[in-house]
Amino acid sequence: MLTSDVATFLQGGQCIHLGTRSETLEPTGVVVVAVSVDSDRSHLTAFLPKVGSSEVLANLEANGRAALCFARPVDDHACQVKGTYVEARPATKKERAVVEAQWDQSLRQLEHIGMPRQLWSGYAVWPCVAVRVRVTEVFDQTPGPGAGAPLA
Amino acid sequence: MTPSLDSLAPCFQGLIPAMLFTCSAEGVPNAAYLSHVDYVDASHVALSFQFFNKSRRNIAENPKATVRVLNPDTGQGWLLSLRFVRSETSGALFDRMALRIESIASYCGLKGIFKLLAADVYEVTAVRPAEECGASPEAVTVSGHVPADPVFTMQALQHMSARIHAAESLEQLLDSILAGFAEVYGFTHSMLALATGESNVLVTVASRGYSENGAGAEVRFGEGIMGMVAEARKPIRISGLLRGMLYAQAVKIRAQQAGMHAFDARVPLPGLANPESQLGIPLLVRGDLIGVLCIESETPYRFHEDDKTSIELLGSYLAIAVQHMQLHERADVVASTAVVEPPQPAPKAAAPASQPGRAVREVVFYSADECILVDGEYLIRSLPARILWKLLSARMRDGRAEFTNRELRLDKSLNLPEWKDNLETRLLLLRRRLEQKCPDIRVVPRGRGRFGVEVGCQLVLAERP
Repeated sequence: MLTSDVATFLQGGQCIHLGTRSETLEPTGVVVVAVSVDSDRSHLTAFLPKVGSSEVLANLEANGRAALCFARPVDDHACQVKGTYVEARPATKKERAVVEAQWDQSLRQLEHIGMPRQLWSGYAVWPCVAVRVRVTEVFDQTPGPGAGAPLA
Repeated sequence: MTPSLDSLAPCFQGLIPAMLFTCSAEGVPNAAYLSHVDYVDASHVALSFQFFNKSRRNIAENPKATVRVLNPDTGQGWLLSLRFVRSETSGALFDRMALRIESIASYCGLKGIFKLLAADVYEVTAVRPAEECGASPEAVTVSGHVPADPVFTMQALQHMSARIHAAESLEQLLDSILAGFAEVYGFTHSMLALATGESNVLVTVASRGYSENGAGAEVRFGEGIMGMVAEARKPIRISGLLRGMLYAQAVKIRAQQAGMHAFDARVPLPGLANPESQLGIPLLVRGDLIGVLCIESETPYRFHEDDKTSIELLGSYLAIAVQHMQLHERADVVASTAVVEPPQPAPKAAAPASQPGRAVREVVFYSADECILVDGEYLIRSLPARILWKLLSARMRDGRAEFTNRELRLDKSLNLPEWKDNLETRLLLLRRRLEQKCPDIRVVPRGRGRFGVEVGCQLVLAERP
């Protein structure tokens, strides 16, 4: 489903958010610390901070709809992955290094555009909940006239 | 405790992009970055609508949204639950948001593409902290200074007022104002552009903090922050300019890929290479645009809302002071020349002929373009060019070194407008350009409507079509 280029982009330390909605169609969302794409490129695992994720996890359990926005801060290159929820589990100690490395990459990008790393030091990056999502659609989301085009 | 929207003011500076969550009628969520969230009142915010996208389509189907904003001073995230109320395509709110976006667009050469289509007003139904985005325990902020610390205090305004009153000439007034911004407020980079009579163009006549004085840099209406201020005749405050420019740059690349028109060259804005905060203030007297003052900084979120309000007041005062000085200098000239009529024979300049050991400067006047080049380098155009050509020609032909403002006003060949000729501003501009580009030629004030032309080189004058 995801092309190799897109999969590389998603795991490249971008700024990521997960959007969900309630049964009454109230949307909400949470920061995603890191993402890991499965080798089949049809599934991905989003690592959400355990603190602050209860509402989106409840939404995912209830209706399974997920939207992940990935943006590269240095040039605003962005894409959106739509998917359906598969499962959630506590992230393992083994995954922690990968998660923290990606988070560090995103902070470096933010530093590059003038946002000091200390600004994010209050973020509850760990422990994480690993949320597995089946990818159903991918869209280009770079701002401008081409935004919204499907990325096959 | 639920915070008030007012207390979240730093979140609405546009420093850190907001994230908008929406949902279609079929229940498909969407997450997208948003260019700008603007504070409207204690229970409403406005979101910038720039492109027809999925978020906009979702809102048309389902008016509920959530926007996540970050406080750039603490890092604390906030989730605002929203309900769409209306779209505004005109009025004060729209103008304020559009002006900010169009200034960035103009800076990036994207005017007409990167623009506000509507200010979408939402009612804020709930405010809660984004638990995962807690406040930073460290005292490092993006803004770099405490939010509740506006620098434009009454005492500072008094200092500026004293400077204005002490100035004895237009040149002194302009320089003193910019020096005041540096010394009193700590704003080390500033510039002033004044109207010179040419329609829809301002000319930079004073600047401070830059490697070049920038005198003569033209500011066309609608271009860059100063041009936008001049066109709209409203102040503009931009924070987090780098973020806005990156966003606009992404749009530009996509627009070019899509074959849409985009300007090839970025409009050159005099000033800092990487400004983060800019404040542009129109200098207006009874609706007449006298000029535009621009202050900029490499620090994001350098100017607060209170600063804008205070400096707007200061701007009105400066505008009156500048106009008063222009009229005063003109009146001085009339009075002084009335006393000394008929003019004394003008002192002769030193013989312009062969002066061994001195540099030779070739000054060429291009009559069709009305511009002057010195040694092949552009110096000045339009009326100041015609004035300089007249002065240098008289010096070369008659050996004259002393001149009066009045004789320039009476010279029909210069084609000065009878009313509001801004002659003193143009002479100041000419003097500054010469200081910057050709210090061998100097226009030196001699007091009350008189000035001398001093030349420290050998001149070769040529007129070309």
